[in-house]
Amino acid sequence: MTLAITIAIMTAGGVYLMLQRGMVRIVLGLLLVGHAVNLLIMSAGGVFRRDMPLLQFGTALTAADPLPQAFVLTAIVIAFSIAIYMLTLAASGGDDDTEGNP
Amino acid sequence: MVLLLLLIVLAVTVASTPLLDRFLGRNAGWPIAAVFLALTVLVAVQAPQVLGAGSALEYSRPWMPSLGVDLHLRMDGLGWLFTMLVTGIGTLIMAYSTRYFPPGRRLGFYCLMSLFAFAMTGLVLADDVVLLFVFWELTTIASFYLIGLSGLTADRSAIRTFLLTAMGGLALLGAVVLLVVRTGTTRLSEILADESWTREPVFVSVVALLVIVAVFTKSAQFPFHYWLPDAMAASTPVSAYLHAAAMVKAGIYLAMRFTPAFGDLLLWNSVLITAGLVTALMGAFFALQQTDLKRLAAFSTVSQLGLLVAVIGVGTPEALVAASVHTVAHALFKSALFMVVGLVDHQTGTRDLRRLGGLRHRMPVTATVATLSALSMAGIPPLLGFISKENLFEAFLNAPGPGWSGPLAGIVAVGASVFTFAYSFRFVHRTFFGVSRSAEGSREAGAEEAGIGFWAPAGIAALGGVLLGLTVPVLDPLVNEVAVNTTFQTTDAHLVLWHGVNAALLMSMTAIGLGSFVAWRSRVGDALAGHDFVPVTGVGIFESLYNGIIRLGRRAGDLTRFDSPAFHLGAPMVLIIALASVVTVVGVDLPPVAGQTSLGLDWLLVGLMAVAVGSAVITRSRMAGLALVGIAGFTTALWLFFLGAFDVALTQLLVEILTVVVAVLVLRRLPRRFHGVRRSRSALTAVIAIAAGLCMGVAAFALTGRRELSPAAEYFLGNAPEDTGGTNVVNTILVDYRALDTLGELTVLGVAGLIIIAVLRSSDLLPTHDSRQVTVSPTNAAFDPADNTVLMRTVGRFLMPLLVLWSLYLLFRGHNEPGGGFIAGLVGGAGFALTYLAAPSDRAARIRLAYPAIIGAGVIVAAFSGFLGYLDGSFLKPLHAEIPLAWGGYFHFTTAFIFDIGVYLAVVGVLLTALNELGLERGRGSTDGSGDPPAPDQGEESVGAPDRSPSLDGSTAGGKR
Repeated sequence: MTLAITIAIMTAGGVYLMLQRGMVRIVLGLLLVGHAVNLLIMSAGGVFRRDMPLLQFGTALTAADPLPQAFVLTAIVIAFSIAIYMLTLAASGGDDDTEGNP
Repeated sequence: MVLLLLLIVLAVTVASTPLLDRFLGRNAGWPIAAVFLALTVLVAVQAPQVLGAGSALEYSRPWMPSLGVDLHLRMDGLGWLFTMLVTGIGTLIMAYSTRYFPPGRRLGFYCLMSLFAFAMTGLVLADDVVLLFVFWELTTIASFYLIGLSGLTADRSAIRTFLLTAMGGLALLGAVVLLVVRTGTTRLSEILADESWTREPVFVSVVALLVIVAVFTKSAQFPFHYWLPDAMAASTPVSAYLHAAAMVKAGIYLAMRFTPAFGDLLLWNSVLITAGLVTALMGAFFALQQTDLKRLAAFSTVSQLGLLVAVIGVGTPEALVAASVHTVAHALFKSALFMVVGLVDHQTGTRDLRRLGGLRHRMPVTATVATLSALSMAGIPPLLGFISKENLFEAFLNAPGPGWSGPLAGIVAVGASVFTFAYSFRFVHRTFFGVSRSAEGSREAGAEEAGIGFWAPAGIAALGGVLLGLTVPVLDPLVNEVAVNTTFQTTDAHLVLWHGVNAALLMSMTAIGLGSFVAWRSRVGDALAGHDFVPVTGVGIFESLYNGIIRLGRRAGDLTRFDSPAFHLGAPMVLIIALASVVTVVGVDLPPVAGQTSLGLDWLLVGLMAVAVGSAVITRSRMAGLALVGIAGFTTALWLFFLGAFDVALTQLLVEILTVVVAVLVLRRLPRRFHGVRRSRSALTAVIAIAAGLCMGVAAFALTGRRELSPAAEYFLGNAPEDTGGTNVVNTILVDYRALDTLGELTVLGVAGLIIIAVLRSSDLLPTHDSRQVTVSPTNAAFDPADNTVLMRTVGRFLMPLLVLWSLYLLFRGHNEPGGGFIAGLVGGAGFALTYLAAPSDRAARIRLAYPAIIGAGVIVAAFSGFLGYLDGSFLKPLHAEIPLAWGGYFHFTTAFIFDIGVYLAVVGVLLTALNELGLERGRGSTDGSGDPPAPDQGEESVGAPDRSPSLDGSTAGGKR
């Protein structure tokens, strides 16, 4: 429930920013939506088991699902590379306006 | 084994062309011809088995076992015939090419011609429909590039030819897919022997039509015939090989190969016979009209291919016998004639029949070769062309269908032969007889005979037609075997020169007699030449269709083409909301929530997130927006930590820090405040956003967290230490179980880094924005940047090496404890970022490492560890070793660690790229001194400006190393 509410808040904010004018706000919106989707993937693994999947320290019996974690870890880094690429676009050429006459 | 050897030798020939070309130049054709000759002999000595005993050679090995596609090769009589054509004619053409081209290197030509021979051999030997299709396409591609070699003027021809033949390839693919799905095997011989599908009228008709389209496009049948004259833009050896002897015969081969399945199908018979005869008649008539010797030969090829297609359509064993004889005859005389065209063109500098004439005195050998070949083409005894034409006539008279169809087909075939005789006569007479039509002293009038090396290949081909005509019974075993292969009926054909007086002989005589009359009445074609009897040309129709399709595509695209990304981003959102609403209204059955999903402390994060996102949405300041989204990111990291994802939380935290660092580098180049938008738009987008948020929240609540741990998770948690030797399960998934995903991901990361470099090479960064220029009076203590940053620099000096060392430690222990390549790379990157932030000025790069090379090294190291996996069976499979340590115990080493080093390097490389490319004071404002806000359309102009390159070199010194 709490995670779902968090995801809802982030998605709403992210979508709103993505639909505004200017590349920087689109990037910020994308970051928020990206975080929301990552949390959704975590949620898909189930949030009732929350122990770290570090078997040196804990037991496999209570550890959280490691697969979504691996996905999200990958996704975070990709989202980062896309974000810095889009930021580069925002600051090259003209200013970051995405509408009106350039 | 012989079959595999054939393909291997040809593949090696293709691979060795660069070397041959380097040392021999145009003479590279000699060794290639020698190889082809050896292969011809190799194929020839298989004749006793393939033709004599009638048992096909086969070779088979698995290729894609999971799809049931194997490397099946099979050489029966039909395959033998076409392999002989490909290698035999190939030998002549390769030898001929050494003298046709001026001295110099011809890498593209020899490489592509060998590649074509390879593809064509594979095509006629393939006993697997997928393999057949692959080789079929390869011949199309080789043809495209070979035509394109002739320079810019041939571009359009090459594209037209390619698009048309590729369309046929798609039709063939359709047929292949239908057959594989229906019969459950990809094996061609089994498909053809399977009668279950040929008895279904609808299915067999659809497949037959698809095969017909493939045959017609490849073998230039009406209405696709026009590409062949169009393709004459290619050099003459290419035309002689691809567009006379080999590639266009691929369609003939396919039609013959599928005759067992379609031979009794009336659709197949009628379409092939009708279109083939129309093509034959039309091509022959157009050939007579030509003034360019090469186009004459091209239309003649179209016409002859029409006869072949029509006779294959007859489908009886006798017809297939006729088709195989005529295939041989045509390959010999037409390749010889094309080589003659090249000889005449080369020696006189023209192919224009209005300027040639009387060459027999100056080029007696060429004239003899041309005459012999043309006589064979015209169907004059005792040449092979005469015998094949007799057989064609005979077969047409027995065409299937109503009683009138046989005689009608015979009459049309005779009609085509009338024009064939006339244009054959035109070819020889206008070139070699009469007197020269060029001025005295011109190059055409003073031409001389070419050297023996140049005319010998053409001579051999022409002589082949004579010898085979005189000793034609030697072809009996071949044609009988082909008839068996293509109709599954035994036949006992005896090819002889003299049949006695019969219908076919009378038809031949009529054709020759009427042909002489037409030649006389039309003044050897001159009376017809240059007239447009048809108002449209094939090329014209193609171009208007092509342009129409492009226009249609543009119109369709215009419907959704907006400059603003908001529309593109908004449309899918609205659609998803609509879909989600429908699902919500319809409702789905949900299992109960599994376990306790909300803890009290979670609400703290919800509140934090609500504040951060709410303010980020409202603020008009760029910097505030960034900071607030950063807080949302940190909250996400906390969330991940709460969910037990320690590694992920750590990554998120580091990425968030670095995102803010990079974003700050960008934001200082932009205005302080966001662009304003109308209130109505804000309201609308807010509605969409809230709806999207609701959908996502409801979906997250309803669709997730309602089951126990997934089987995959059970497996990973249960087996990771045993499988991989690592106890950090998330890390083992990244570098071990699902390393291919990670390899793909770090490649994306690397590409993003390289794109950033590429973007900034093509359009410069903006200078620091005016509103962000801080002016400080010289008396202020903060004026001197060196003093101003002393604290941070001092801290940074010690902290940076520590961070880098710590990152290496994290990398090293990642398999068992929190850490790993990503986290380590981000920590290292944070260390570098510290150096940049602490620097008193941003005019020079703080770290001069070759960051593109580091990115590349990362991808290469990761891929290398993947290839190591092949030692134990598969790509990216980690290898393990226990290395004894000096102080006792063992160190568990795995190649997954090497993979993780690749990840580390890629991450560090991309971060350095971002810092160096975005962080330095550069861009137009700082290089040319003018602080004007640049307009985007100036970007193009400044690319070539000479003063730009030094500034680029300066700022990317590391990258160019």
